[in-house]
Amino acid sequence: MALPSVPLVDESVDVERRELHASEVPWITIVWNDPVNLMSYVAWVFRRHFGMDAPTAEQRMMQVHTEGRAVVAEGNREAMERHVEAMHEYGLWATLERAPR
Amino acid sequence: MRGFVLVEGGFEAVVEPEEARILASLAAQLSSLLGEAADDEALSGSDPAVARLLPDAYRDDEEAAAEWRRLSRRALAERKGAFASRFAADLADASTATASTRIRLDESGALDWMRAIGDLRLVLAERMEVGDDREGMSDLYDWLAWMQDDLVRVLDQAEERGA
Repeated sequence: MALPSVPLVDESVDVERRELHASEVPWITIVWNDPVNLMSYVAWVFRRHFGMDAPTAEQRMMQVHTEGRAVVAEGNREAMERHVEAMHEYGLWATLERAPR
Repeated sequence: MRGFVLVEGGFEAVVEPEEARILASLAAQLSSLLGEAADDEALSGSDPAVARLLPDAYRDDEEAAAEWRRLSRRALAERKGAFASRFAADLADASTATASTRIRLDESGALDWMRAIGDLRLVLAERMEVGDDREGMSDLYDWLAWMQDDLVRVLDQAEERGA
């Protein structure tokens, strides 16, 4: 295996690094596609719970439907847990995870 | 049943006794399933319908998922059980009536119905995979879809009027 010809750590980029406090790391709420929930209902839940306007709710619903998942919220972990719980109350399949960085 | 209409302070639908009996019976079964599920976490492993009603909140982090189940699962099951119980209770009079009954819901009632109907469809979808009476269940499944779609329509209508 060839050794990398560039340094693994680019020291020329002087980024101020500090550890993020856990509450500052963004999390996301994902709604997953399921074959049961009606498209009209899913869009309605997005409008009702997240206060999305109709075109946004429709777009996210279609994303769930065609791509299998959509990110519907981003924020701190506690807030995302509340969203996930609300989605489960509505019968939607939702999970939270760390936002990709 | 012919769909909901917007009335002062809520929504009304006319329900036949036979329809009310079917819906109330399904709602009571859902409520009892959720009651069992609240007390028994292992049901999520053995009954796919329970797993779908009360899904994990984390996908790739079993530790976080277990912690979330410990803190939230029971209360969620109980709230869902309460939606189903209210759905059943709203239909109780109509199911013992000899003629069709006009049922009136306020907004919070409509939301409970909406969620109970959604949960019933989740359970029926799982039961249809393995059940004997697939055709009967499939008719119920479609009927509940129609009802939920109708509630979306009438709740939107109410919001437009309010706006």
